[in-house]
Amino acid sequence: MFSRRNFSLAAGMAAAVALTAGAMIASTANASPLVAPGEPAPAFIGLDSEGQSVALADFAGKTVVLEWTNDGCPFVQKHYAAPPSNMQSLQADAATDDVVWLSVISSAPGKQGHVSGTQANALTASRDATPAHVILDPSGDIGRLYGAKTTPHMFVIKPDGMLAYEGAIDSKPSARVSDIDTATNYVRAALTSLAADEPVEVASSKPYGCSVKYE
Amino acid sequence: MIRIFASILAVLLIGALAPATAAPVDGGHARVELIAERSSVQPGETIYAALKMDLDPNWHVYWRNAGDAGLPPELIYRDTSTVPGGAIGDFVWPVPHLLPVVEGEIMDYGYSEQVILPFPLMIPANASGTVQLDVVADYLICEDICVPETADVSLTLTVGQPVPDTMNGEMIAQWIAKVPLAFVGDVRVDASGTPWKLSLRGEPGLSRDSGIRFFPFAHEISHPAPQPVTFGSDGATLSLTQAGQTPLEGNLDGVLVIEQADGTRFGYEISAEQGPVFENTAGLAAIRSGKGGAGGTGLLTLAFFALIGGLILNLMPCVLPVLSIKAMGMVSAAASGHANELRSHGIWYTVGVLVSFAALAGAIVGVRAATGSATLGFQLQNGPTVAILALIMFLIGLWLMGLFELGTSIQNTGSTLASRNGAAGAFFTGVLAAVVGAPCVGPFLGAALGAVLSQPAAAVFIVFLAMGFGLALPFLLLSFVPGLQRVLPKPGKWMETLKQFFAFPMFLTAAWLLSVLGALSGHSAVAWTVAGATAITFAIWLARRGGVPARAVAAAVLVVGFAYPALRASAPAAAEGTSSAYAAKYETEAWSPERVAELTAQGRPVFVDFTATWCATCQLNKLSTLKSAAVQDAFADANVAFLVADFTRKDPVIAEELKRRERAGVPMYLWYPAGASEPEILPEILSKDLVIGLLGSS
Repeated sequence: MFSRRNFSLAAGMAAAVALTAGAMIASTANASPLVAPGEPAPAFIGLDSEGQSVALADFAGKTVVLEWTNDGCPFVQKHYAAPPSNMQSLQADAATDDVVWLSVISSAPGKQGHVSGTQANALTASRDATPAHVILDPSGDIGRLYGAKTTPHMFVIKPDGMLAYEGAIDSKPSARVSDIDTATNYVRAALTSLAADEPVEVASSKPYGCSVKYE
Repeated sequence: MIRIFASILAVLLIGALAPATAAPVDGGHARVELIAERSSVQPGETIYAALKMDLDPNWHVYWRNAGDAGLPPELIYRDTSTVPGGAIGDFVWPVPHLLPVVEGEIMDYGYSEQVILPFPLMIPANASGTVQLDVVADYLICEDICVPETADVSLTLTVGQPVPDTMNGEMIAQWIAKVPLAFVGDVRVDASGTPWKLSLRGEPGLSRDSGIRFFPFAHEISHPAPQPVTFGSDGATLSLTQAGQTPLEGNLDGVLVIEQADGTRFGYEISAEQGPVFENTAGLAAIRSGKGGAGGTGLLTLAFFALIGGLILNLMPCVLPVLSIKAMGMVSAAASGHANELRSHGIWYTVGVLVSFAALAGAIVGVRAATGSATLGFQLQNGPTVAILALIMFLIGLWLMGLFELGTSIQNTGSTLASRNGAAGAFFTGVLAAVVGAPCVGPFLGAALGAVLSQPAAAVFIVFLAMGFGLALPFLLLSFVPGLQRVLPKPGKWMETLKQFFAFPMFLTAAWLLSVLGALSGHSAVAWTVAGATAITFAIWLARRGGVPARAVAAAVLVVGFAYPALRASAPAAAEGTSSAYAAKYETEAWSPERVAELTAQGRPVFVDFTATWCATCQLNKLSTLKSAAVQDAFADANVAFLVADFTRKDPVIAEELKRRERAGVPMYLWYPAGASEPEILPEILSKDLVIGLLGSS
């Protein structure tokens, strides 16, 4: 019944219909950068409090810590409270070990935590903080790129660019300074493991804090 | 004297005994106190006490799972209490509310205005006199900013005959009634795909006009993501977006909150085991507030409109050239003495069309099952599909030109139209007509199909088959007309010329698809597709030179010519989607529901254009109406805000709005007269008079 010509025509038609239908069904996939331990940390460029352009790529080959912060948030204040100056001691230890500490402020203009470069530098000085840079992200682009939801929200990036830790600063979600001593500090643990070339035990945890004040 | 003293003392003592609680403590942004359902209790019994919080307006506190950011309230035991710390049970949590912090990005769960959190309190067996509970209420309270507050509160109860505290007892009972109940039916979660599907069965409270939302106890799902729900005869299914990439371990626990049409909310606590979706719990859209759903239209009416749509499809530039071939085939058949075969050919053609439309309906049902919604035109949002369609149009153009011959060759009228071959040829012509018609279906038939896409699968199939039948109808009728052979013109050279002429509309269709591809995947994808077309032409030329090796090479080149451009087209365009075709000349804004709300609050009239580069009717309306000077001037005079929703690429917010308005796809035009919160949906074909007329009546 089927001549060869008809058969090839039939095959062509079937292929066309199947292809179209298949493509329709397959078109549900979508791609967006995945921010999770083991994946490459998304690249970004931002302006710091001195007006300098700072890119993640500038620190290739070094361990980098990203700290989302908002000085008005009680949870950030808990970790900056002196004593015990939890965040400041982490930053100082990081500097000693040649770990690059970047504080990021993603508060939108008019919202809690939004500061100018001068104000940011004043805050750093008054709190005895020692980040390598304070990156001002008022548009929230870098925050959204990383999926930063709270302040504080911590990310630790290995020298090869892969994300080693993402999540809370420690294991006790509260605004009480008294909880710092009895909590496990995930950032310190991650940095210690990386320095000793060991796998990071807790690679991800649920971050706690105030919501990032995006627009 | 002593009597007076004694009576004063008695009054004082009675006054001291009466209150079971102290006055509320102001923590800063909330007034906090402990209350109990009794003022007097018996030793050894367990009663319900509660933490009562009256919050400042616009401030909120959190549920047991705060969501993306926040902390639930807690009671910290103070050892000045005369009950042991273990006497205090956990809070029973009333059904929470959604607290959106950043729309689509950060979502919390909690309470505002007032919340009463009951907890069981065990009175020690050896209690006597009074019992006192002293705690620190430690809670995070937020508006835009968050403040952690504490309040020292205490509860004093006398031990003796049980005496209820009517006022507080009633309040506690009211809030205990808001605590989620156990779920009566079955629940399972299918966490094997994306999105996760939470399937519910056998709960009588689920009806198509209820809103359903799942509040998890932990963080396995994304809190801000929407949870589209579809219903079935036995229950409902929610689509949940996973948080991150970690697979679900064990059960998914949380609370299902159902909001009925009259505003009442109640919750069910569920623990969903992993497993497949229950049968008959998905596929039907929710019916929300007054829209009434598509049930009112009636399936028959819908099918009738689809039939008419199919008839009109015969005239579309995509389909017309192919049908001309069919017509000429009939002419030759009539002329060569096979006139009595015409009827069977007509039937085979119809079958071919119906089978292809059934496949299209199947694809739509499949996409809907996979992603929870479907719009027509989705095939034109996918780069590789558009590239392949463009190449198919090009190939058909080449065929019409006469570069190569296929079974239904016109020249060999006598020999090749033997009855069986003719039947097969008729079938495949039917399939071909459906294939070239597919890209045209969405843009031209959107209104007729808008309501059907969220209907059960059977309805989708019926409507699509009706459309196919409409497409095939002219030829079916024609082939049944007695004595047709006398009416048809005699075959001649004109047939060849006409066939070649129709190659040009096909090339133009291919060109249009290339422009869509350019918007979707960038100019390099277009270049590769043109290269693919060249490869295909080369393959055909090579095959015609004859010889088996040449044919083999030709076949390989043909496949590469189709496949490689499709692969290149799958990379999205580097450029950000520019708002198609409006350019800076006319002031337009990007559409969003929030922007519409803002503008209508300001009292400005709003015109929303839902469009896409691949939508031919949209371009037609732009040319004839929306970009015309008269309309632009009228809009400017009336201070109309012009918003554009560009659906060239997939956009879930736009797709949701189309679905809400029961449209299958673009174009859709919404007109909000000054300050109106609900829009008028305009017809798909616009005219200047229609649009300018809107301004006069607002």
